[in-house]
Amino acid sequence: MNALPIYLLLLKATMTSFAGMGSLPQIRQDFVETHQAISDEQLSQAVLVGRATIGPMGAYVVAVGYFAGGWPGAIAGWLAMITPALVAIPVLTLVQRWLHLRRIRAAVDGVIIASAVLLVGSGAVLTIDAIQQLIRLKS
Amino acid sequence: MRPSLRELLTAIAYEANRTVGGGLVSIELLRRRFTASGWIDSAVHGVFIAVSRFTPGTVVLAYVVMLGWRFHRWRGALPALAAASIPGSLIVLALAATLAEIDRYAAVRALLAVGILVAGVLVVGSAWHLIRPYLEKSEGPPEGGHYVSSRMRVLVVGAIAVALVLLGATPVRVLLAAAVVSMAMPARGTPEGVPYVEK
Repeated sequence: MNALPIYLLLLKATMTSFAGMGSLPQIRQDFVETHQAISDEQLSQAVLVGRATIGPMGAYVVAVGYFAGGWPGAIAGWLAMITPALVAIPVLTLVQRWLHLRRIRAAVDGVIIASAVLLVGSGAVLTIDAIQQLIRLKS
Repeated sequence: MRPSLRELLTAIAYEANRTVGGGLVSIELLRRRFTASGWIDSAVHGVFIAVSRFTPGTVVLAYVVMLGWRFHRWRGALPALAAASIPGSLIVLALAATLAEIDRYAAVRALLAVGILVAGVLVVGSAWHLIRPYLEKSEGPPEGGHYVSSRMRVLVVGAIAVALVLLGATPVRVLLAAAVVSMAMPARGTPEGVPYVEK
Protein backbone atom coordinates (compact mmCIF):
# COMPACT_ATOMS: atom_id res chain seq x y z
CA MET A 1 0.00 0.00 0.00
CA ASN A 2 1.34 3.47 -0.89
CA ALA A 3 2.00 6.15 1.67
CA LEU A 4 -0.66 8.59 0.42
CA PRO A 5 -3.67 6.27 0.79
CA ILE A 6 -2.27 5.12 4.14
CA TYR A 7 -2.09 8.74 5.26
CA LEU A 8 -5.60 9.52 4.03
CA LEU A 9 -7.16 6.41 5.59
CA LEU A 10 -5.39 6.95 8.91
CA LEU A 11 -6.26 10.65 8.82
CA LYS A 12 -9.91 9.73 8.33
CA ALA A 13 -9.68 7.58 11.45
CA THR A 14 -7.79 10.11 13.60
CA MET A 15 -9.91 13.08 12.49
CA THR A 16 -13.10 11.30 13.48
CA SER A 17 -11.93 10.14 16.90
CA PHE A 18 -11.40 12.08 20.11
CA ALA A 19 -8.96 9.93 22.06
CA GLY A 20 -5.79 7.97 21.42
CA MET A 21 -7.42 4.59 20.85
CA GLY A 22 -10.70 6.01 19.58
CA SER A 23 -9.58 5.54 16.00
CA LEU A 24 -9.22 1.76 16.38
CA PRO A 25 -12.65 0.66 15.03
CA GLN A 26 -12.27 2.79 11.87
CA ILE A 27 -8.70 1.59 11.31
CA ARG A 28 -9.76 -2.03 11.66
CA GLN A 29 -12.59 -1.46 9.21
CA ASP A 30 -10.35 0.19 6.59
CA PHE A 31 -7.05 -1.68 6.95
CA VAL A 32 -8.13 -5.16 8.01
CA GLU A 33 -11.54 -5.66 6.45
CA THR A 34 -11.86 -3.35 3.43
CA HIS A 35 -8.30 -3.15 2.08
CA GLN A 36 -6.78 -6.16 3.86
CA ALA A 37 -3.52 -4.26 4.13
CA ILE A 38 -2.77 -5.69 7.57
CA SER A 39 -3.99 -8.68 9.55
CA ASP A 40 -5.90 -8.68 12.84
CA GLU A 41 -2.76 -10.04 14.47
CA GLN A 42 -0.69 -7.11 13.18
CA LEU A 43 -3.34 -4.68 14.42
CA SER A 44 -3.23 -6.30 17.86
CA GLN A 45 0.57 -6.07 17.80
CA ALA A 46 0.34 -2.38 16.89
CA VAL A 47 -2.09 -1.70 19.75
CA LEU A 48 0.08 -3.61 22.22
CA VAL A 49 3.19 -1.74 21.14
CA GLY A 50 1.35 1.59 21.41
CA ARG A 51 0.13 0.80 24.91
CA ALA A 52 3.52 -0.33 26.14
CA THR A 53 5.38 2.68 24.82
CA ILE A 54 5.97 6.05 26.45
CA GLY A 55 3.97 8.98 25.16
CA PRO A 56 0.52 9.06 23.59
CA MET A 57 -1.27 5.76 22.96
CA GLY A 58 -2.35 7.17 19.61
CA ALA A 59 1.20 6.47 18.42
CA TYR A 60 0.02 2.96 17.56
CA VAL A 61 -1.04 4.37 14.17
CA VAL A 62 2.67 4.64 13.35
CA ALA A 63 2.92 0.85 13.73
CA VAL A 64 -0.24 0.39 11.65
CA GLY A 65 1.31 2.53 8.92
CA TYR A 66 4.55 0.55 9.11
CA PHE A 67 2.77 -2.80 8.80
CA ALA A 68 0.74 -1.51 5.86
CA GLY A 69 3.50 0.25 3.92
CA GLY A 70 6.95 -0.05 5.51
CA TRP A 71 8.94 3.08 6.40
CA PRO A 72 6.93 5.44 4.16
CA GLY A 73 3.80 4.04 5.77
CA ALA A 74 5.21 4.74 9.24
CA ILE A 75 5.88 8.36 8.29
CA ALA A 76 2.35 8.59 6.87
CA GLY A 77 1.07 7.18 10.18
CA TRP A 78 3.00 9.77 12.18
CA LEU A 79 1.66 12.58 10.00
CA ALA A 80 -1.90 11.26 10.36
CA MET A 81 -1.43 11.21 14.14
CA ILE A 82 -0.18 14.81 14.43
CA THR A 83 -2.34 16.52 11.77
CA PRO A 84 -5.60 16.70 13.78
CA ALA A 85 -3.81 18.41 16.68
CA LEU A 86 -3.38 21.53 14.55
CA VAL A 87 -7.17 21.99 14.62
CA ALA A 88 -6.70 23.04 18.26
CA ILE A 89 -5.25 26.42 17.24
CA PRO A 90 -8.30 27.83 15.40
CA VAL A 91 -10.58 26.33 18.09
CA LEU A 92 -8.53 27.97 20.84
CA THR A 93 -8.52 31.29 18.98
CA LEU A 94 -12.31 31.21 18.68
CA VAL A 95 -12.78 30.21 22.31
CA GLN A 96 -10.50 33.02 23.49
CA ARG A 97 -12.29 35.53 21.27
CA TRP A 98 -15.67 34.61 22.71
CA LEU A 99 -14.66 33.80 26.26
CA HIS A 100 -15.78 37.21 27.52
CA LEU A 101 -19.36 36.16 26.76
CA ARG A 102 -20.96 34.67 29.87
CA ARG A 103 -22.70 31.88 28.00
CA ILE A 104 -19.51 30.80 26.25
CA ARG A 105 -17.58 30.95 29.49
CA ALA A 106 -20.26 28.83 31.13
CA ALA A 107 -20.04 26.31 28.27
CA VAL A 108 -16.26 26.07 28.68
CA ASP A 109 -16.71 25.61 32.42
CA GLY A 110 -19.16 22.79 31.70
CA VAL A 111 -16.71 21.09 29.38
CA ILE A 112 -13.93 21.36 31.98
CA ILE A 113 -16.15 19.81 34.66
CA ALA A 114 -17.26 17.01 32.32
CA SER A 115 -13.61 16.45 31.33
CA ALA A 116 -12.82 15.86 34.99
CA VAL A 117 -15.60 13.25 35.18
CA LEU A 118 -14.22 11.54 32.06
CA LEU A 119 -10.72 11.64 33.54
CA VAL A 120 -11.91 9.81 36.64
CA GLY A 121 -13.43 7.16 34.39
CA SER A 122 -10.25 6.80 32.32
CA GLY A 123 -8.07 6.69 35.41
CA ALA A 124 -10.29 4.07 37.01
CA VAL A 125 -10.13 1.89 33.90
CA LEU A 126 -6.32 2.14 33.83
CA THR A 127 -6.07 1.35 37.53
CA ILE A 128 -8.42 -1.64 37.38
CA ASP A 129 -6.64 -2.94 34.27
CA ALA A 130 -3.26 -2.72 36.02
CA ILE A 131 -4.53 -4.43 39.19
CA GLN A 132 -6.04 -7.26 37.12
CA GLN A 133 -2.73 -7.69 35.29
CA LEU A 134 -0.84 -7.85 38.58
CA ILE A 135 -3.31 -10.40 40.00
CA ARG A 136 -2.93 -12.55 36.86
CA LEU A 137 0.85 -12.39 37.14
CA LYS A 138 0.74 -13.42 40.79
CA SER A 139 -1.57 -16.41 40.22
CA MET B 1 6.40 34.44 32.80
CA ARG B 2 7.19 33.05 29.38
CA PRO B 3 9.57 30.17 28.65
CA SER B 4 12.15 30.45 25.91
CA LEU B 5 11.60 28.18 22.93
CA ARG B 6 14.35 25.91 24.20
CA GLU B 7 12.86 25.71 27.70
CA LEU B 8 9.44 25.04 26.23
CA LEU B 9 10.57 22.22 23.96
CA THR B 10 12.79 20.65 26.62
CA ALA B 11 9.89 20.59 29.08
CA ILE B 12 7.45 19.16 26.54
CA ALA B 13 9.87 16.53 25.21
CA TYR B 14 10.64 15.39 28.76
CA GLU B 15 7.16 15.42 30.30
CA ALA B 16 5.30 14.02 27.28
CA ASN B 17 7.65 11.10 26.86
CA ARG B 18 8.46 9.78 30.29
CA THR B 19 5.56 7.53 31.19
CA VAL B 20 3.36 4.77 29.86
CA GLY B 21 -0.40 5.03 30.24
CA GLY B 22 -1.17 7.50 27.48
CA GLY B 23 -1.53 11.19 26.89
CA LEU B 24 -3.75 12.02 29.87
CA VAL B 25 -0.88 11.17 32.20
CA SER B 26 1.48 13.28 30.13
CA ILE B 27 -0.95 16.20 30.37
CA GLU B 28 -0.92 15.94 34.17
CA LEU B 29 2.88 15.91 34.18
CA LEU B 30 2.94 18.88 31.82
CA ARG B 31 0.46 20.73 34.04
CA ARG B 32 2.65 20.18 37.09
CA ARG B 33 5.79 21.34 35.29
CA PHE B 34 4.22 24.40 33.66
CA THR B 35 2.31 25.59 36.71
CA ALA B 36 5.32 25.04 38.98
CA SER B 37 7.37 27.18 36.60
CA GLY B 38 4.68 29.86 36.60
CA TRP B 39 4.20 29.59 32.83
CA ILE B 40 0.49 28.78 33.00
CA ASP B 41 -2.09 28.72 35.77
CA SER B 42 -4.91 26.31 36.44
CA ALA B 43 -7.42 28.45 34.54
CA VAL B 44 -5.35 28.33 31.34
CA HIS B 45 -4.85 24.61 31.87
CA GLY B 46 -8.61 24.20 32.16
CA VAL B 47 -9.27 25.98 28.87
CA PHE B 48 -6.55 23.95 27.15
CA ILE B 49 -8.14 20.76 28.46
CA ALA B 50 -11.56 21.86 27.21
CA VAL B 51 -10.26 22.71 23.75
CA SER B 52 -8.07 19.60 23.45
CA ARG B 53 -11.07 17.43 24.36
CA PHE B 54 -12.96 18.91 21.42
CA THR B 55 -10.02 18.57 19.03
CA PRO B 56 -9.98 15.39 16.96
CA GLY B 57 -7.15 12.92 17.44
CA THR B 58 -4.80 12.51 20.35
CA VAL B 59 -5.65 14.80 23.28
CA VAL B 60 -2.10 15.41 24.51
CA LEU B 61 -0.91 16.49 21.06
CA ALA B 62 -3.63 19.14 20.87
CA TYR B 63 -2.61 20.22 24.38
CA VAL B 64 1.08 20.68 23.50
CA VAL B 65 0.19 22.50 20.27
CA MET B 66 -1.69 25.05 22.38
CA LEU B 67 1.23 25.33 24.80
CA GLY B 68 3.59 26.05 21.90
CA TRP B 69 1.11 28.43 20.28
CA ARG B 70 0.55 30.39 23.49
CA PHE B 71 4.21 31.30 23.92
CA HIS B 72 5.74 31.27 20.42
CA ARG B 73 2.87 30.93 17.91
CA TRP B 74 3.73 28.62 14.99
CA ARG B 75 7.41 28.68 15.89
CA GLY B 76 6.43 27.00 19.14
CA ALA B 77 3.40 24.93 18.08
CA LEU B 78 5.02 22.84 15.36
CA PRO B 79 8.24 21.96 17.25
CA ALA B 80 6.13 21.23 20.34
CA LEU B 81 4.11 18.74 18.31
CA ALA B 82 7.30 17.10 17.10
CA ALA B 83 8.82 17.03 20.59
CA ALA B 84 5.77 15.31 22.04
CA SER B 85 5.25 12.78 19.26
CA ILE B 86 8.58 11.76 17.73
CA PRO B 87 10.27 9.92 20.64
CA GLY B 88 7.28 7.67 21.32
CA SER B 89 6.71 7.12 17.61
CA LEU B 90 10.31 6.04 17.11
CA ILE B 91 10.01 3.48 19.89
CA VAL B 92 6.72 2.21 18.46
CA LEU B 93 8.36 1.93 15.07
CA ALA B 94 11.41 0.12 16.45
CA LEU B 95 9.23 -2.38 18.30
CA ALA B 96 6.97 -2.90 15.29
CA ALA B 97 9.92 -3.30 12.95
CA THR B 98 11.56 -5.93 15.13
CA LEU B 99 8.20 -7.53 15.96
CA ALA B 100 9.43 -7.67 19.52
CA GLU B 101 7.10 -9.64 21.73
CA ILE B 102 7.45 -7.26 24.58
CA ASP B 103 4.88 -8.95 26.77
CA ARG B 104 6.57 -12.35 26.63
CA TYR B 105 8.46 -11.87 29.90
CA ALA B 106 6.65 -11.77 33.25
CA ALA B 107 9.00 -9.09 34.58
CA VAL B 108 8.18 -6.82 31.64
CA ARG B 109 4.46 -7.41 32.12
CA ALA B 110 4.78 -6.61 35.84
CA LEU B 111 6.70 -3.41 35.14
CA LEU B 112 4.10 -2.33 32.60
CA ALA B 113 1.28 -3.08 35.03
CA VAL B 114 2.94 -1.01 37.77
CA GLY B 115 3.53 1.81 35.29
CA ILE B 116 -0.11 1.76 34.22
CA LEU B 117 -1.23 1.66 37.87
CA VAL B 118 0.75 4.81 38.61
CA ALA B 119 -0.63 6.36 35.43
CA GLY B 120 -4.19 5.61 36.53
CA VAL B 121 -3.65 7.31 39.88
CA LEU B 122 -2.11 10.35 38.16
CA VAL B 123 -5.07 10.64 35.79
CA VAL B 124 -7.59 10.52 38.64
CA GLY B 125 -5.50 13.13 40.47
CA SER B 126 -5.57 15.40 37.44
CA ALA B 127 -9.39 15.38 37.57
CA TRP B 128 -9.21 16.88 41.05
CA HIS B 129 -6.95 19.69 39.81
CA LEU B 130 -9.54 20.57 37.18
CA ILE B 131 -12.45 20.62 39.60
CA ARG B 132 -10.74 22.26 42.57
CA PRO B 133 -10.83 25.89 41.32
CA TYR B 134 -14.61 25.62 40.97
CA LEU B 135 -15.01 24.26 44.49
CA GLU B 136 -12.77 26.94 45.97
CA LYS B 137 -14.69 29.86 44.44
CA SER B 138 -16.64 31.29 47.33
CA GLU B 139 -19.12 33.49 45.51
CA GLY B 140 -22.72 32.45 45.57
CA PRO B 141 -25.59 33.55 43.39
CA PRO B 142 -26.35 37.30 43.64
CA GLU B 143 -29.66 38.58 44.87
CA GLY B 144 -32.37 37.51 42.54
CA GLY B 145 -30.59 34.24 41.86
CA HIS B 146 -30.00 34.81 38.16
CA TYR B 147 -26.53 33.32 38.25
CA VAL B 148 -25.30 29.93 39.36
CA SER B 149 -22.48 29.41 41.83
CA SER B 150 -19.44 27.39 40.77
CA ARG B 151 -20.21 24.62 43.23
CA MET B 152 -23.75 24.28 41.95
CA ARG B 153 -22.39 24.09 38.41
CA VAL B 154 -20.02 21.29 39.42
CA LEU B 155 -22.89 19.46 41.08
CA VAL B 156 -25.36 19.73 38.20
CA VAL B 157 -22.96 19.30 35.27
CA GLY B 158 -20.99 16.61 37.09
CA ALA B 159 -24.14 14.63 37.86
CA ILE B 160 -25.29 14.82 34.26
CA ALA B 161 -21.86 13.80 32.98
CA VAL B 162 -21.72 10.82 35.36
CA ALA B 163 -25.20 9.74 34.32
CA LEU B 164 -24.31 9.94 30.62
CA VAL B 165 -21.09 8.00 31.15
CA LEU B 166 -23.02 5.29 33.00
CA LEU B 167 -25.53 5.20 30.15
CA GLY B 168 -22.68 4.53 27.73
CA ALA B 169 -22.61 7.89 25.93
CA THR B 170 -19.44 8.67 23.96
CA PRO B 171 -17.05 11.26 25.46
CA VAL B 172 -17.90 13.83 22.79
CA ARG B 173 -21.61 13.53 23.56
CA VAL B 174 -20.90 13.87 27.27
CA LEU B 175 -18.87 17.03 26.65
CA LEU B 176 -21.48 18.51 24.30
CA ALA B 177 -24.27 17.84 26.79
CA ALA B 178 -22.19 19.40 29.57
CA ALA B 179 -21.54 22.49 27.43
CA VAL B 180 -25.23 22.92 26.61
CA VAL B 181 -26.42 22.40 30.18
CA SER B 182 -23.75 24.69 31.59
CA MET B 183 -24.52 27.33 28.97
CA ALA B 184 -28.05 27.45 30.35
CA MET B 185 -26.56 28.43 33.73
CA PRO B 186 -24.84 31.82 33.18
CA ALA B 187 -21.51 32.28 34.91
CA ARG B 188 -21.04 35.01 37.44
CA GLY B 189 -18.33 37.62 36.96
CA THR B 190 -17.43 40.42 34.59
CA PRO B 191 -15.66 39.93 31.27
CA GLU B 192 -12.59 41.63 32.75
CA GLY B 193 -12.59 39.03 35.47
CA VAL B 194 -12.04 36.17 33.08
CA PRO B 195 -8.52 35.10 34.00
CA TYR B 196 -7.69 32.96 31.03
CA VAL B 197 -8.29 35.31 28.11
CA GLU B 198 -4.94 35.88 26.47
CA LYS B 199 -4.01 39.55 26.31
